[in-house]
Amino acid sequence: MIKIHKNDISAYLWLVPSLLLMSVMIAVPVFTVFKMSMVEISKSGVIKSFNNFENFKNVFASAAFRKTLANTLIWTVSVVGISTVLGIIIGLVLNLDFPGRKIMRAIVVFPWATSLVIQALIWKYILSAEYGSLNVILYKIGVISSYKNWTPTASAFFAWECWVGIFVTVPFVTFCVLSGLQSIDNSYYESAEVDGASFFKKLFTITLPLLKKNLTVSTVLNIIYVFNSFPIIWTITKGDPADQTHTIATYIYDLAFYNRKSGDAAAVSVIGFVILCIFATAYMMMTIRSEKEEDI
Amino acid sequence: MKKALTVFLVLLVAFSVFAKGSAESKKTELNVIISQYGNYTQDWWPKFEQKFEENNPDIDLKIEIVSWNDLYTVVGTRISTNQQPDILNIDTFSDYVADDLLVPTEKYVSDAVKNKIFPGFWSANDLNGTVWALPILASARALFYNKDILKAAGVSKVPETWDEVLDACAKIKAYDSKIVPWSLDISTDEGQAAFSYYSWNNGGGFTDAKGNWTLNSKENVEAIEFMKTLIDSGYTTANPYTETRYPQQDAFAAGSLAMMLGPCNLYDIASNVNFGVASMPTNGGNKSVNMGVCDRLMVFKREVKDENVRLAAISKFFDAFYDEKTYAEYMVFEGFLPVTSDSTALLAKNAEQFEKGGNAGKGNSKYFSDFIAILGACNFYPTAKPEWNDVKQGVIKAEQEACIGKVSAKDALDALQKQIVK
Repeated sequence: MIKIHKNDISAYLWLVPSLLLMSVMIAVPVFTVFKMSMVEISKSGVIKSFNNFENFKNVFASAAFRKTLANTLIWTVSVVGISTVLGIIIGLVLNLDFPGRKIMRAIVVFPWATSLVIQALIWKYILSAEYGSLNVILYKIGVISSYKNWTPTASAFFAWECWVGIFVTVPFVTFCVLSGLQSIDNSYYESAEVDGASFFKKLFTITLPLLKKNLTVSTVLNIIYVFNSFPIIWTITKGDPADQTHTIATYIYDLAFYNRKSGDAAAVSVIGFVILCIFATAYMMMTIRSEKEEDI
Repeated sequence: MKKALTVFLVLLVAFSVFAKGSAESKKTELNVIISQYGNYTQDWWPKFEQKFEENNPDIDLKIEIVSWNDLYTVVGTRISTNQQPDILNIDTFSDYVADDLLVPTEKYVSDAVKNKIFPGFWSANDLNGTVWALPILASARALFYNKDILKAAGVSKVPETWDEVLDACAKIKAYDSKIVPWSLDISTDEGQAAFSYYSWNNGGGFTDAKGNWTLNSKENVEAIEFMKTLIDSGYTTANPYTETRYPQQDAFAAGSLAMMLGPCNLYDIASNVNFGVASMPTNGGNKSVNMGVCDRLMVFKREVKDENVRLAAISKFFDAFYDEKTYAEYMVFEGFLPVTSDSTALLAKNAEQFEKGGNAGKGNSKYFSDFIAILGACNFYPTAKPEWNDVKQGVIKAEQEACIGKVSAKDALDALQKQIVK
C-alpha cells in the first residue's frame, strides 16, 4: 500500500497554481482549436455548426498543404540537423583555450539574442538583388560583374530561409554543447592520451557519448521550436511565391488571416499539434528514461 | 472622533465613486475601430474624439487605432467573442452582411451626409438594394514616372501602350542596368492591384457588365502574360512575388526605379525626384483606366439597452466626421482623397489652410484637384460581392503560379474561375 506523506499533499497543493495556469493558458486554447477545426466558421469569424470534418477534407485535398508538409519536414530536419553539427563544431572550438575566447563566445550569442524578425529582415536586405549588401560587396571586390538574383526560384528562397534558420539556431546548440563539455572530467582525455587515442577516437568514444544528454535536450527542444517557427519565413517570403515556401506555422496564419478560412486553419493547427505531440512524448520518455538511469 | 472621520471619508469616497458611476452610465458609449493609414493616424483621432465629446457630453467615444496588419485578426476575434465595435473602418463589408452583423446606413445616416457623398461611392456600398457602409476615403492609382531617367535613357514620350512600356524599359535598362525600369508587386500583400491595372487596361476585369465573374477571360490571361514578360525581361525588381509596393515606392523616391503604377500619396513621398503623373498604359486600343481604392465605415449590430439612443449617437458621429472642414482636415492630414462634395470643393480651392500629418507642411490644392479628376474616371474592386476575398487571394496565386512558370496563365485563371463559380 502506498502511503501518502503529509509533505506530499503540500507538494501537490503548491502545484495547484501552475496546474490552474496551464489549464487556462494551454488546455482551453487547445480545446478551442479542436472545436474550431470541426465547425464551419464564416469569413467574418462567426462560429456556426459542426460541418462533418469538412475543414480536414479541404486541407487534405489542398496541394498547398501537401507542399507545406513537405517543406515543414525539410525545414525542421535541415535546420535542426545542420545547426546541431555546426553547434558541436563551434562548441568544441570555443571550449579550447585561446586568447579572445570570451569575446568569441559573446559574438556567438548575438544571433540568438537578437529578434528573429530583425534577423530575417537583415537577411532579406542582404540578399536583395537590387540593393542587397551581398551583391554590393561581391561587386566591389570584383567577384561578380553585375548584380545577381540570389533567389531566382522558390526553392532558392526556401534554401536561404533554411540558412537563416540554421544561423539563428546554432548558438543554442553551441551553448548546450559547451555546458556539456565543461562537465566532462579531464581525466578521461588524459587516460585516452596515455593510450595513444587520436582526436577523432576521443571525440567519438568520450566527447559525443558524454554529450548525449545535452544533445538530446537541444535536439528535441529545437525540433519543437523550429517546427513552430513563424517569423523567419513570414518576414522573408510570407509563403510566396504560390504557396511554395510555407511551413505549417505560416500556412496556418495565411489561411486564417489572409484567406479568412479559420476552420481550415484550425484543422491544420490540429494536424501540427498531433505531429508535435509525438515529438513531445518522445522527449518526455527520453527525459524519464535518463532520470531512471541516473537513479540506478 | 478619529473613527467617525474615517467612516465619513470612506462614505465620501464610496459616494463619489457611485456618483461618478451613475454619471458615466448615463453616457452612450461608442466603440470605434479606425485603421491606421500612416504614421500619424493616431495623432488626429484623439483630437477629434476630444472635440466630439466636448460637443456631445452625453456620448463617450472610444476610438481605437489598429494597424492594417492586425485589423482582420482583431475584428475576427471581437466578432467571434461577440464584442464587435459599434463602428468599424475596414475595406470590405460583404462578409459581415452575409452573417447579418451590420446595420443598414438608412438607420443612422442623416440626409445631409448622404447627399454630399459622391453617388458612385455611395452606390459602391449597395448590396441587393441596401447600402451597408459609408466611404471613409479614397485613393487613386496612376502612372508615376521619373522625368530625368526617361530623358537620360532617350525615352521621348511617356508610355501610353504596353508596347511603349516594353520599349521604354529596354532603353532604361540599356542606359543603366542598376535602375529598375518598371515596378510590379504581385505579392500576397497587394497582387490583386497589379491584376486590376493590366486586366482593366486590356479590356478585361474581374466581372462583366452584369456583375458575373469573368476571371479567365482572354484579356485577363493576356494581362498575366504581360506581367510575366516584364519579369522575364528583367524590367521589374527581381522578386515581385515578395517585394511589396512599399520598398518600391521608396526606390522610386530614391530615383532607383523609373516608372511605377502607384498611389496618389506617392506625390508626397517622391517629392525629391523630378516626376510626372500620367494615365495607366493600355493595350489593344482600349481606353486607359486608372484604379481607385476606397475604404469604408460600417456600423455593427450590438445588444444594447436602447438601440435608438445608440443609433442617434452614431448619427452624430458621422455628422461630425463628415463636417466640411473636419473631413477636409483629415484628408490633408492623411494625404488621401475626399468622397464628399463640399470637402472636395474646399480642398481643390484651399487645401493650404490644413496641416499634413507629422508637420510635413501644408496641403496642396493642385494635388487634390489633379487626383480628384483622376478619381472620377477610376475603376474599383468589386468588393461588394461576397466572393471578393476568395477572388482577391485567387488572382494573386494565379499571377504567382503563372509568373514562376508553374502553370500557364490560362490554366491558373481557368482553375480560379471554376473555384469561384461553383
